[in-house]
Amino acid sequence: MKESRLPVLTDEELLMGLADGSDDALTHLYQRYFPMVLYFVTSNSGSEDDAKDIYQEVLIVLYEKVRSGSLELHCQLKTYLYSIGRRLWLKQLAQRSRFMVRDVETPVSDEFVNGQISDDLAEHEERDRQFDLMADSLNRLGEPCRTLLDDFYVQHLSMQDITEKFGYTNTDNAKTQKYKCLMRLKRLFFSEYKQD
Amino acid sequence: MNMDEEKDIENALRTYSERIQFKQRLARIQASADVSAYPVETEQSGQIRALWRTYRTTLAVAASAAIITTFGSIFLYRSYQQSHQQEQQYRLLSKEIQAVKYSQRKLLSDLNGRGRALSVNPAQVSGSGFMLTSDGYFVTNNHIVLGADSVYVQSTKGEVYKARVVYNDQAHDLAFLQLCDDSAFRPMPSVPYGFNARPSDLGERVYTLGFPREEIVYGEGYLSSGTGYRGDSTAYQVAVGVNPGNSGGPLLDEGGNVIGIISGKQTTLEGVSFAIKTNYLLDAINAIPAEALKGLPLRINRKSALANLSRKQQIKRMQDYVYQVKVFKHKE
Repeated sequence: MKESRLPVLTDEELLMGLADGSDDALTHLYQRYFPMVLYFVTSNSGSEDDAKDIYQEVLIVLYEKVRSGSLELHCQLKTYLYSIGRRLWLKQLAQRSRFMVRDVETPVSDEFVNGQISDDLAEHEERDRQFDLMADSLNRLGEPCRTLLDDFYVQHLSMQDITEKFGYTNTDNAKTQKYKCLMRLKRLFFSEYKQD
Repeated sequence: MNMDEEKDIENALRTYSERIQFKQRLARIQASADVSAYPVETEQSGQIRALWRTYRTTLAVAASAAIITTFGSIFLYRSYQQSHQQEQQYRLLSKEIQAVKYSQRKLLSDLNGRGRALSVNPAQVSGSGFMLTSDGYFVTNNHIVLGADSVYVQSTKGEVYKARVVYNDQAHDLAFLQLCDDSAFRPMPSVPYGFNARPSDLGERVYTLGFPREEIVYGEGYLSSGTGYRGDSTAYQVAVGVNPGNSGGPLLDEGGNVIGIISGKQTTLEGVSFAIKTNYLLDAINAIPAEALKGLPLRINRKSALANLSRKQQIKRMQDYVYQVKVFKHKE
């Protein structure tokens, strides 16, 4: 794909492609802006793997914003991604108690956009928490509920497939079973989630 | 309600699964992307570069501190050296004065009749001295007559008398001579100036007469300190321009009292001269053994006869009692 460069996509096209779940758009986003983040992270005492983790998180932030339709860009996509990546990496650096920053790009300086980025990151943190909590809840759910829900919601198996895989007599039976599992998961998840 | 909660948990689950899938996609793309294609990245790897990047600021601070220290030290050393050189120049200058003085004296000795007779060993020293009593007792500095073979004194009128060293007081740098050994000397009218043992006050107007050259030279100034060189309490510091040859000259106050004897000056400072206090002169006179004086004690004039005279009159009266001392000795 690198060799056969597709016509350069604009930021909007990239974002639309990302929302549609296009691998092309994702690859483009990766190729276009990863070097910038890589350079930033390695310039600030990080490794290549750190950079990959950071950029992955950046793209998750972007992806989830796009999917929920709440993305409002008031600056260039490049600046947005750099600023998000910068904040995420600085947070990690703070945990490692290093405070020197060497910028390789100009981060967002506008007051309003800065606030927006902070909001986006706060939102991202909340989603992170939900994600971890969900993983934890699923784990505590135990078998066969965990696999059942995973198959249906994550692997997107059909109800028919699931009926066969788990040896239920019919799909209704499987649906009832799924519902029961879901209710147990709900209790586990919300008891934790609302406590916080 | 129940449906809502079911929707909530389903949504949460969907979000969860979406993220998992997105992560999987990303991981695929990351794996397929040729990381080494980014030139930035290959350049960046390497521990030394990472270290350099981390400690660059610290290094910069350390380097500038080192530079400042280095140049600061060099600058300080230079300025120290310069001041040191100046000091050396002063020393050189004083040496030159010594040399000039020496050659001058040599020249003077050639002009002098008696000197010419002794020109086989022409190493001479000259200074000043003055009469203590009218019958030929005379005082000068010990350093002038030190190691002398013969001592002559010459008046302003050009009369030369041979003198005998009666007594040396090395501690106070005083020497007492007697002129009456020379038959040519006739007792003079009594000395016009008095010897005042009272300590003089700072700021006292003083003057001196001496022989820095073949002619008598007048110099005036003021008493600037009650102690001499390096706090020597037996001397005064006076601001009078004196030159080699002035040594042994009298230091007089306005009333015509001898308050000291010029003995030296500080070469490194301008206008700083020293004079031995008169009361030490009187002490030294009392210490002269009676046999050296041939039984006749010195009668020192305590009261100045010049008190009411103008400075010019004082000098006119005095100058007959101030002599140039010429010393001949074998060269070592």
